Amino acid sequence: MTSTATITDRATGRRAGPEPVVSFRKVSKNYGAVRAVADLDLELYPGETVALLGPNGAGKSSTLDLLLGLRNADTGSVSLFGTSPQRAIEQGKVGAMLQSGGLMTGVKVRELVKLASDLHPGGYPVEQIMDAAGITEIADRMVDKLSGGQEQRVRFALATAGANDLIVLDEPTTGMDVSSRQTFWGTMRAQARQGRTVLFATHYLEEADEVADRVIVLHRGRVLADGTAAEIKARAGARRVVFDLDGPVDRGVLRGLPHLTSLEVSGRTVRIQSGDADATMHAVYGLGLYPRNLEVAGLGLEQAFIAITDAATAEEAAR
Amino acid sequence: MTTLIKLEIVRALRNKKFMFFSVIYPPALYLIIAGGADSKPIPGMKLNMSLYFMVAMAAFGAMTAVLIGNSEAIAKEREKGWVRQLRLTALPGRGYVAAKMGSAATVSLPSIVLVMLVAATVKGVRLEAWQWIAILVATWLGSFVFAALGVAIGYLATGDAVRPIAMMIYFVLAFLGGLWMPLTILPQWVQNIAEWLPTHAYAALGTAIEGGHAPDVKDLAILAGYLLVFAGGAGWLYRKDTRTA
Repeated sequence: MTSTATITDRATGRRAGPEPVVSFRKVSKNYGAVRAVADLDLELYPGETVALLGPNGAGKSSTLDLLLGLRNADTGSVSLFGTSPQRAIEQGKVGAMLQSGGLMTGVKVRELVKLASDLHPGGYPVEQIMDAAGITEIADRMVDKLSGGQEQRVRFALATAGANDLIVLDEPTTGMDVSSRQTFWGTMRAQARQGRTVLFATHYLEEADEVADRVIVLHRGRVLADGTAAEIKARAGARRVVFDLDGPVDRGVLRGLPHLTSLEVSGRTVRIQSGDADATMHAVYGLGLYPRNLEVAGLGLEQAFIAITDAATAEEAAR
Repeated sequence: MTTLIKLEIVRALRNKKFMFFSVIYPPALYLIIAGGADSKPIPGMKLNMSLYFMVAMAAFGAMTAVLIGNSEAIAKEREKGWVRQLRLTALPGRGYVAAKMGSAATVSLPSIVLVMLVAATVKGVRLEAWQWIAILVATWLGSFVFAALGVAIGYLATGDAVRPIAMMIYFVLAFLGGLWMPLTILPQWVQNIAEWLPTHAYAALGTAIEGGHAPDVKDLAILAGYLLVFAGGAGWLYRKDTRTA
């Protein structure tokens, strides 16, 4: 399980131009004995909306910290826009929203947004930023008095205020309700359409599925899968097959089915994930079994994600 | 960058509690220390207690407001993650330090003015007009040195450690700089060390003006040197700080 899907620029259908926005080369980062990021190679291209997925401790936050120059890599190199993360940030090319990023206290929302806009060359007008982030009605409120969701929207406003070429978001919609979440992604799509690169870490898989045109799955600091949501789903075993059997179920026999990626038996109900459902079912009939209540369905990204990371964990345990 | 400086000043003015105590404390202390003093000159000096302590307490008050206030506020902002967020903007390191010094100076100015007012009205201190103005300006500008030190301390220490560290530096500097008592009553070797401290040079600006002449070039150079080191260090720490506070 080391192959990764080919990276192509979804907008043009070809491998994007020579200048990547973000480039990780053989980057490793350890915290004591814990390997947070291991030999990571990664490139992001202009206009891509990229979701960074991974279970807790997969190295998402560490990867973002390295990308933003908040931590230094032990080995390897990280570059943004062909220069160091710090230089790129000082040049105003990056807008970021971190989970750990707090807000200035003792100021009004409007004052803080104005600050974020003024700090970047070519920042958007304050009213426009607040409108896009849906915080116009709380503009005169003190930052200290905001609810969790409002605070999150203000942070989002700060991340987009600078009209930056690269926007980095760590779990951006945590604490937002459904409608703010929609507004949020609407704004992000508009940013991407203008040629900006958006990178976000999330554990809402449906968001990655709907919003990102490229999904990177991290596991123990490595890239486990990299491609469109559809490619990742295909990779995990495209189909989920469920059926009931009349007689007693022989797991040993079922385990020998072709293209099987996972098998689960409860009572007489069999749940299978398969890379080729047609071939698998053909073999089931070939065994002389008679499946009833047959259902075949595509995997969601969430199941694909679980399948991929489980397989990787099992593989590592077997080693 | 100017937006941040303005915003930091607005914030400082809004924090009424901190403002009140920072402004009230130095003149109150002045009255306690110099309150019962006579007008005899201090041994080894040409100035009497009222004059000496007007400058010393103005300096001490300004230093309290900027050093303690800044270091704690910054450590708190680091903990909350605001500084981390700010570091992801195009703001240069010097911008952050300048903004923090600006807000500190907003608090220190009224405390200096108040000590001088109390000295003039209650203790009957009389000086030439140019001396009043020169002392005010010198003490105010001198407070920038300690504002920068406050930023640097806020960066070096975290959480619970900030207050004791800031306090320790502050007490040692205040005592050895002669802000609490004239150094002439201390042993010579202490005086020899004290001469090179920023607090000593700071108070010396005011006492020189009270004596009717311009501040010593050596004191100005010492202060400028410390300002450079503290501000440079603070700016460097702001950018280089790759630890999570």
